[in-house]
Amino acid sequence: MSRKRALALGASGALSAGTLAPATASAHGLVGKQDLPIPRVLFAWAAAIVLIVSFVALGALWKRSRWESGVRERELLRFPRWLEIPCGLVGVALFGLGVYAGLAGTKEATSNLLPNLIYVLFWVGLPFLSALFGDVFRPFNPWLAIARASGWVVRRIGGDSVPEPLPYPERLGRWPAVVGILGFAWLELVYVDKDNTVTLAVLSIAYCVLQLVAMSLYGADRWSRRGDAFGVYFNLISRLSPLHWRDARLYARTPLAGVVPLNAVPGTVALVCVLIGSTSFDGFSQGQIWNGSNGGAGLAGRLQDFFTGLGLSLQSALEAAFTVGLLVMIGLISGLYRLGVNGMSDIGERYPASDLSRRFVHSLVPIALAYVVAHYFSLLVYQGQATAYLISDPLGDGHNFFGTANVGINYTVISATQVWYAQVAALVAGHVSGLILAHDRAIAIYAKPSAATRSQYWMLTVMVAFTCLGLYLLSESA
Amino acid sequence: MPVRSCAVMAALLAAAALTGCAGTSSSAPKNADITVNVVNGKPQGGVKTYKVKKGGHVHFVVKSDVADEVHVHGYNFHKDVPKGGTVTFDFPAKIDGGFIAELENAHQTLINLQVEP
Repeated sequence: MSRKRALALGASGALSAGTLAPATASAHGLVGKQDLPIPRVLFAWAAAIVLIVSFVALGALWKRSRWESGVRERELLRFPRWLEIPCGLVGVALFGLGVYAGLAGTKEATSNLLPNLIYVLFWVGLPFLSALFGDVFRPFNPWLAIARASGWVVRRIGGDSVPEPLPYPERLGRWPAVVGILGFAWLELVYVDKDNTVTLAVLSIAYCVLQLVAMSLYGADRWSRRGDAFGVYFNLISRLSPLHWRDARLYARTPLAGVVPLNAVPGTVALVCVLIGSTSFDGFSQGQIWNGSNGGAGLAGRLQDFFTGLGLSLQSALEAAFTVGLLVMIGLISGLYRLGVNGMSDIGERYPASDLSRRFVHSLVPIALAYVVAHYFSLLVYQGQATAYLISDPLGDGHNFFGTANVGINYTVISATQVWYAQVAALVAGHVSGLILAHDRAIAIYAKPSAATRSQYWMLTVMVAFTCLGLYLLSESA
Repeated sequence: MPVRSCAVMAALLAAAALTGCAGTSSSAPKNADITVNVVNGKPQGGVKTYKVKKGGHVHFVVKSDVADEVHVHGYNFHKDVPKGGTVTFDFPAKIDGGFIAELENAHQTLINLQVEP
């Protein structure tokens, strides 16, 4: 993650601007250990494997669609509906504890539960859990639980006089979630004061209130599936999982297959591009092109100088520079996908590009997950350990509830080499998964197999580009 | 495009990727001897990156014109440095990864230390 680099950057940016003070001197990081860049040899091998696998897959994959006619699910177990109540209570309690720690606890980010809860367990931990175990966030979603509980109370009291929720505007689609994810990415990757515990607590409350208002207007269930940024994001990732929680039952299904029936309402393509783009920028903003190397100014320093030249303060100029970087990276990802889709629109049935863009977006979901795994796997392994001492002393004021307050972080549980292999494996796996999903869709929508294959030259180019970009961002060249 | 020409293309691209990158792997020195001069609360010459091989030895000296605490992250070493004073860290590089050392109270990064496996 970029926290520590932002500090280094402040120094280099200030250097290029002469005698100015370091711009990000107030930020404090959670991260004690960063990943080493992937060595070039490993990078080259991974890229070569990706290329070979891709081209072999074109000829070798199945010829008739396997998933489009519906995915078979096998029931594993049933559980009583009332379980939703204790789950919701746990979610609300954790939310309350985090916010309380943020407001009342120490201002030192590494000793306060809230930054760890938000940036590590929630933002990184839940996508990992969702990919493995399905949409496990939903039963614990605190705002959804509060909205459901209050809806139940209101119906008990008001009876038939309670108005029906408004119809959710179809044109809105997943756009509210896009705005929410973009806002969170900005907070995490751009905002200088991102580790301020009070700010984080206030933003958490504000987000919760906003969700409750929207849920009361459009219905809790509807809004949570379209507008709640985190609910939508974790659900999207959970569709790759072999487990599916639905109607008080747990089902097993083929991994990846759950994302095939994804209804690509407006905003879905943007959501996936924002996810991939923001993770990409997180990687890029830690590299030497952005930060400069050994005292020399990088892109960020130059952009910062440009914005201070326009009259912005050092801190605002740095944020402006990072905002530009984030938006350009998201634009680059969107443009790359659009390019592939445009290429496809000339083939076979000549589907319009906007149509194809929605039809193939599900194949980018495993790539979005792969980027998250590659960039944040080590963060979860190292910083996740901080939970042990934070849960014993959530406010950082010397308590020791569970006797674990003095447990430190063991940075040797996985080695730098193991992190590299995990990163490369994640990107290659994401690439192959995306390839399979796109292939299955292509043979379903094109009547002629030759058209389906030709359409996949384009998707293949897009995916090879994404995967090589992902590898490049982790390498020492970036 | 038939499958065979795809395979040929893939092989060519892979060969290009491999030859283009062969032999450029960086090698870190066995030991690191690092001295940082802190002038006006900032490292002279900017924040630099130092590499060292895992298992080697790190000798890290900070001369500071401000009083603060020097913190080597990851290894978690803390030492106070008085104004105009010097602190020295000597330690075996036994954890691989990227670490920073900073002036803890000023939140000023001094160096990036990369311990390579």
